[in-house]
Amino acid sequence: MINVLRVIGQHLLALTRKKRLDNELDGEVEAHLELLEQDLIAAGMAPAEARMAALRNFGGIEQMKEIHREVRGYPWIEGFVRDFRYGLISLKQQPGFATVAIAVLALGIGANTAMFSIIDAVLWKPLPFPDPDRIVRVWETPDATIRNSTSTLTFLDWKHLDTVFDAVSVDERTTAAITTGGVPERLSGSLVSADYFKVFGVQAGIGRTFTPLEDQPGSAPVVVLSNALWKSRFASDPDILNRELVLDGEANRIVGVMPAGVFDRETARYWKPLIFAPEQMTRGSHWLDVIGRLRPGVSLEEARARLTVLRASLAPQMAAFKKNWGFTAEPFEQRLVGDNMRRAVYLGFAAVLMVLLIACSNVANLLLTKGAARRKEMALRAALGASRGRLVAQLLVEAWVLCLLGSAAGLAVAYLLLQTAGPVLAPYLPFTAELRLDWRVLSFAAAAAVGTSLLVGVLPALQTSFSRLTEFLNQGSRGSSGSSAMLRRTIVVGEVALSLVLLCGASLLFRSLVNLQRVDAGVRIENVITASIDLPLTKYPTADSATSFYRSVIDRVQAVPGVERAALSQDLPLEGVHGGELFGIPGQSEILTPRFKRIDAQYLAALDIPVIAGRGITDHDRADSPRVVLINEELARALATKFGIHGPAGRMASISSPGYGKQEGRGGMIQIAGVIRNERTGDLNAPLQLVMYVPLAQYPRTDVKLIARTTLQDPSGVVSAIREAVRQIDPNLPLADVKTMKQIKQQSLSSTEQPTWLIGCFAAIAALLAALGLYGVIAHSVVQQRKEIGIRMALGASSRVVLSQILSTALKLTLTGLMIGMLGSFAITRLMKTVLFEVSPLDPYSIAIASISMITIGVLAGLIPASRASRVDPVTTLRAE
Amino acid sequence: MNDPKTDVPYGTLDLLILKSLDTLGPMHGYRIARRIEQVADNLLQLNQGSIYPALIRLEQQGWISTEWGVSETKRKVKFYSLTKAGVKQLKVEIANWENTTALVARFLEAKS
Repeated sequence: MINVLRVIGQHLLALTRKKRLDNELDGEVEAHLELLEQDLIAAGMAPAEARMAALRNFGGIEQMKEIHREVRGYPWIEGFVRDFRYGLISLKQQPGFATVAIAVLALGIGANTAMFSIIDAVLWKPLPFPDPDRIVRVWETPDATIRNSTSTLTFLDWKHLDTVFDAVSVDERTTAAITTGGVPERLSGSLVSADYFKVFGVQAGIGRTFTPLEDQPGSAPVVVLSNALWKSRFASDPDILNRELVLDGEANRIVGVMPAGVFDRETARYWKPLIFAPEQMTRGSHWLDVIGRLRPGVSLEEARARLTVLRASLAPQMAAFKKNWGFTAEPFEQRLVGDNMRRAVYLGFAAVLMVLLIACSNVANLLLTKGAARRKEMALRAALGASRGRLVAQLLVEAWVLCLLGSAAGLAVAYLLLQTAGPVLAPYLPFTAELRLDWRVLSFAAAAAVGTSLLVGVLPALQTSFSRLTEFLNQGSRGSSGSSAMLRRTIVVGEVALSLVLLCGASLLFRSLVNLQRVDAGVRIENVITASIDLPLTKYPTADSATSFYRSVIDRVQAVPGVERAALSQDLPLEGVHGGELFGIPGQSEILTPRFKRIDAQYLAALDIPVIAGRGITDHDRADSPRVVLINEELARALATKFGIHGPAGRMASISSPGYGKQEGRGGMIQIAGVIRNERTGDLNAPLQLVMYVPLAQYPRTDVKLIARTTLQDPSGVVSAIREAVRQIDPNLPLADVKTMKQIKQQSLSSTEQPTWLIGCFAAIAALLAALGLYGVIAHSVVQQRKEIGIRMALGASSRVVLSQILSTALKLTLTGLMIGMLGSFAITRLMKTVLFEVSPLDPYSIAIASISMITIGVLAGLIPASRASRVDPVTTLRAE
Repeated sequence: MNDPKTDVPYGTLDLLILKSLDTLGPMHGYRIARRIEQVADNLLQLNQGSIYPALIRLEQQGWISTEWGVSETKRKVKFYSLTKAGVKQLKVEIANWENTTALVARFLEAKS
């Protein structure tokens, strides 16, 4: 064994010491011949004869040296290294070709690597937690498809299932005003159980996470900070554990800081234990989202089975309307990525792969062109004894050198892309996604490099091995006729086809985007500014304190110059409504679950939402007045189709409702005061929701949105005045999330805009590459046919005729590619149906735009060589041959 | 290149070289080639040059070692000698050779 290693070592050493060993051998050969000569002369031969006899006796010197080299080294390595060096040299000799080819490859491989990194981080990579498949979300299920939050007591029942779970926790978003260490601002945080970090299997970086008792009543307030918060507001204070974080006026002891990494990408900047108040220990209000970690050895099916058993045992304690509800658990990963994001990512990846294919085709074509020109050289070498295998090997290695350099450059491109695109994409990606060039991504890059090399190198190599090399020894170096030109044209047609598919896809997406931008949000977008106000429960413990704040705020903000109308609501249009409640009609068994939105008396007027039937909400709907509710058109329609109720205004309904702060809500019978026109509560392309609207004064809330309609063109001019107005009511209440309705609409669009522009970019790049390919093929054929063009012009053909002939070739290639691309488009764009908004995959306008673009590009690509051809001077070309 | 000389299989050439070095001690390349020629007499027509690939292979295997010396014509040449491993290898090769010869002999004598 050791000897084998030693021998291998010696062989490798021999490769590096080539020159020295060759010299030594030469010396030995000289000495040997000398001695042999001497002995022959001593035996009586004449000196001249002796020399000849010695050489004969010795045998072929050069052949012996060849054998010596083969015996002592690894000839195939030497061959490879030689081909590699030769490849590099030949690239250096053609810097133009080399730069273009390497740049094209770098772009293709780099873009693909970056895209793979994104898709891997978002969809495929395991979450950056230990045993991430053990982390689950636990829900109540009204039916098979809906997931519902749970109540306090049910959560505690789940917590006690220690045969199933290692750790269970709640995860409630919260915000608080913080003044320590800088400008007062509102921070997002999470209220969690003591076991929260145990669910994720993560330890604190500094200090500790929570102890099991810290979420029990009576425990002192503690908080864990995110690493980013520690850096930004505490200047990475090493003594952080002795400090406090004052949230909404309450001091919390800082017990730990999370390590840098995953949790920095979360919106939550701090975590506090959620301590249940006695009045929250019910099964009524469904307000808790729950995560857990399964015990080792417990499968998801087992967990679900046990939850079902638990549900059955709890049935007597559940409300009657929840008769058919169940419990379930699902993998945490499942909810992280919405379908929209999933589709967008797949689409992006498919597009970028196509770009790579086109890039490879271009480079292959370039190599084929070079290969055609070198046929004479190859034929000569074959005639001199080089085996076909050797020639093919050499061409392959040359292609590999190109691809190696392209891949290395591609890695740099990928790195740059991730650095620039990462922060831009971060808000849209789940917090668990880490965009990095880790070994998975690098393996993909390597595979892409290998694949590219094969694609790019195989064709030129085949071209050499299959063609009859000897023929070309006698012909001129014409490369435009014969199968090679056909091959190159086929490749270009393929490029055009792929390009067209991408252009069609991009067209469809852009049309989709335009349609989306035209969607009526159902509310006034112009001249409206909004802000968030969160009342701390400690300062506003009762519903009355909240409602009196609302009155003061509206009065003062209304008085600000430039403000036409001020209003308050629970959520803003286009941002979703957080919370749904039950809605039932007496006598009907089916219970609806519309969104539950609180608005004040000014809301409808401020945002131009018309009342269609009955009335809106007025100042008379106060806490001590009879309860009323408004329904939107969608809900009215549902009442009509499901219950046959037309003209719901004036009817009674029964609803559930949340309470103020930690109090339990009290549902009850309530009158439907009127019907209003639909507003877009959620995304522009999401279906309209069923919404019920209640007066804020009757159902107050700590977190509200302030809406101010202004007379100014730029609504942000009133911001400081509004801030001052609020400050005068409560100096410790910062305004957060100040944005105009226009900005909100823009944000709602941007999740569609970004991918659309990205695909558009790819399509443009693809078209450009296809154009380059076309240009290359046409230009080359023009060069080859110079003689014929010269003859034709000498015989009287005008330059315009020549130009149109060449252009028609370009057009023919483009149109062929177009046809094929069209077929491909029809097949592929059907897959895009779910991503498109009110656009059919066969939309004629989009296809027309794409086709016209491609034809234009094709014609332009052909124009340059065509014009060059038309300017050919027949005299010089004829003389040159 | 003119006379068709019988090519000695590498294996046998190795044995001849090792044995020669064992008998006569360190020699340079020419001396080894001449020695083999002499002993083989006319049974073997060896291209003398073919000894050098064999020598480098034996050196890489670790069975012979080289030292610089001076030839009779005052030139710098390599002197080859057996290593300890080479001595062992020689014994192994001889044993193999004798086994092969015995085996073939048996087959040639076998009547039934």
